[in-house]
Amino acid sequence: MKAIPKRISAWRSAPVAIFIAAIMIVLVGVAVIIQSDNSYRDARRDFAISQAQILAASAAAAVDFNDPVAAQEAVNPLRVITTLRSAAVYGRDGQLIAGYDRSGEAVPALEQGIAPASSDLMRVSAPVEMAGQRIGTAYIQLDRQPVWRRVSRYGTLAVLVAAASLIILGLGFAQRALRSANRELANRAEALAQANEMLGEQMEERAKAEDQLRQSQKMQALGQLTGGIAHDFNNLLTVIQGSADMLCKKELPEAKRVRFAKAIVQASENAAALTSQLLAFARRQPLKPERLDLNRVLAELQDLIDRTMGERVQVSMKLDGPGCSVEADKAQLQSAILNIASNARDAMIDGGRLRISTREANEPGGRMIAIDFADTGHGMDAETLDRVFEPFFTTKGAGKGTGLGLSQVYGFASQSGGEVRAESAVGKGTTVSLLLPCLGEAEVRQVGEPVERAAAPQRSAAILVVEDNDEVGVFAESLLSELGHKVTRASSAEEALHLSRSNDFDLVFSDVVMPGMGGLKLAEVLAAEKPALPVVLATGYSQEIAETGSGGRPVILKPYRLATLSDAIAAALHEGHEAAG
Amino acid sequence: MRRGLSLVLALIAAAAAFVPSSALAQASETAVKAAFLPRFARYVTWPAAAVPKNDDPFVLCVIGDDPFGGALDQAARSQSIDGKRIIVRRMGTAAGVDGCQVAFVGGTPSQPVGQLLAAIGRKPVLTVTDARGGGQRGLIHFSIVGGRVRFFIDQAGAERRGLTISSRLLALAVGVRQ
Repeated sequence: MKAIPKRISAWRSAPVAIFIAAIMIVLVGVAVIIQSDNSYRDARRDFAISQAQILAASAAAAVDFNDPVAAQEAVNPLRVITTLRSAAVYGRDGQLIAGYDRSGEAVPALEQGIAPASSDLMRVSAPVEMAGQRIGTAYIQLDRQPVWRRVSRYGTLAVLVAAASLIILGLGFAQRALRSANRELANRAEALAQANEMLGEQMEERAKAEDQLRQSQKMQALGQLTGGIAHDFNNLLTVIQGSADMLCKKELPEAKRVRFAKAIVQASENAAALTSQLLAFARRQPLKPERLDLNRVLAELQDLIDRTMGERVQVSMKLDGPGCSVEADKAQLQSAILNIASNARDAMIDGGRLRISTREANEPGGRMIAIDFADTGHGMDAETLDRVFEPFFTTKGAGKGTGLGLSQVYGFASQSGGEVRAESAVGKGTTVSLLLPCLGEAEVRQVGEPVERAAAPQRSAAILVVEDNDEVGVFAESLLSELGHKVTRASSAEEALHLSRSNDFDLVFSDVVMPGMGGLKLAEVLAAEKPALPVVLATGYSQEIAETGSGGRPVILKPYRLATLSDAIAAALHEGHEAAG
Repeated sequence: MRRGLSLVLALIAAAAAFVPSSALAQASETAVKAAFLPRFARYVTWPAAAVPKNDDPFVLCVIGDDPFGGALDQAARSQSIDGKRIIVRRMGTAAGVDGCQVAFVGGTPSQPVGQLLAAIGRKPVLTVTDARGGGQRGLIHFSIVGGRVRFFIDQAGAERRGLTISSRLLALAVGVRQ
């Protein structure tokens, strides 16, 4: 930007120079024309003189013998000269011998005087000589070329000079125009920079506003979720509290006591399932592919799907596809399924039916299992269908959707070696198919399921329970005591370390998430200090474990049941014993 | 000289314009012929042998009757050829013609023009005759055409005698025999 004014100042004197150059060219042109005209006049004069000399020579004999006819014959050829005004041959004493005048007037005798030469006449004379004697005079008068003829002769040159001057002047004006254009350009560039700056500010403001909007949307979603969870949990807690209250009553018949206890167990199981699904939906499960039975995953999600779809949509599941296992991240698979279902719901504002079914599909890529989600919604036109998997593409109003749902599905399907397809027509509903590679017959895995069996004979062990929450700590302590163990409780990892150094424990049972040092860190330190001391971890949800794992240590998920705790403790003691032994 | 010529020309002008009497006309005619005679020499080239040596003058001979008189002498004095004087010799016969460059053959009752020309023969002499002297023609033959003194030229005869006549003079002739 700064270079431009410099350049302009360098060119500032250019128009003056160009003007001077134009004047110089005109002057040179005029000088050339004058010079050329002069030399032309000289040439004309030389021509006239030579003609007079020729006349003098050819008329010499005629003058000598005073022969007017012969003299006239010498004069006559000169008539071919177009500019000849008059020609004459005079004798020794100036008397006219022969002559010619274009206008037809008589040529006067030399001694009578010939009209003085005017500006448009050129008059030359040559002596007629014979044997060294002057015997007469030859006279020639030529028209000078009229000025306009002379000017027209130099017309081409004049036109060239004029053209050159015009070009140069034109260049000067163009230069001037260019300069002002440059200035204008600089101004506009500045204006543009300002506009750009303003735009940048606006974009920043917009980004800020969007951030705020997103934040408020997040808060809104969080509020909805929180409200929903609170509602469900309140229902479950009502059952648990009521049953517990009933259990506290004395002289309750055994049958009723068992029924209330079972009601508490059932409600707790439902609550546990609910939190598990929430976590899956939140994708806070360890992100690693695992072999899954697709039908089973769908079955597990049925409740959540039902809840998601609301009362107006009737959901039916027909899971009679092949028992295929797929390798996928479970949380993502669940998320994908819920996303597709949510979209189906949004397409059926006035209610409808969603049919979820599995089937085997033989694709070029190999054997696949497909989950079809067929809704009876308003459907999509071809254009929308083309873009339906594009990130941030949404047909929903502002704040109604992120536009990321189906793109998550697409990304997940691609990552998992499968694909997702959508078929739709306006008014005819939509069918979305999620295809995943089929790895073979499903192995039904019982993960985290409490195994109903007789409690193994328990070896009494010294167990250090680390739990910052008093209630849970007391509960764990009572459970472990019930199992016949000798329990010591620490309310922090630091305290646990201190205790472990002064006491011999057979096992440490620690919570993961605690203020200060966490359970994982405690396990690491203990492993360094006492490698033979087994550690069992318990957590409701831990980002750390989800991301890095537990380092091979057994983890019990809260809420845990007596049997689960008992098995995990027994296994750890057994392994620790074997390792020690 | 100039005065003399101007006098001649004035005479011509006077004769042409004011005095149409035959006597005067003849007198002026003779004067013109006298003025012409020495001038012919300028337009003629003689063989080297016939050209006067050193300071010798050109010789203009009048053979037979002399119609010119003093006018010829005056005209001869006013002219020169290549810086050489011109002298006039008058002779009765053609015997002494060898020394002449130009010869006006006038003829006499005893020796007519034809006889004199025959006597001169093929000598390198520019012979001049006059129509008034009869039909016999020398190399240049005066005649009156349109009231003016004009002349015929026998170029072929001149060549035979080794004389070259300038084309300028030929251009002034009424007729040229080739």
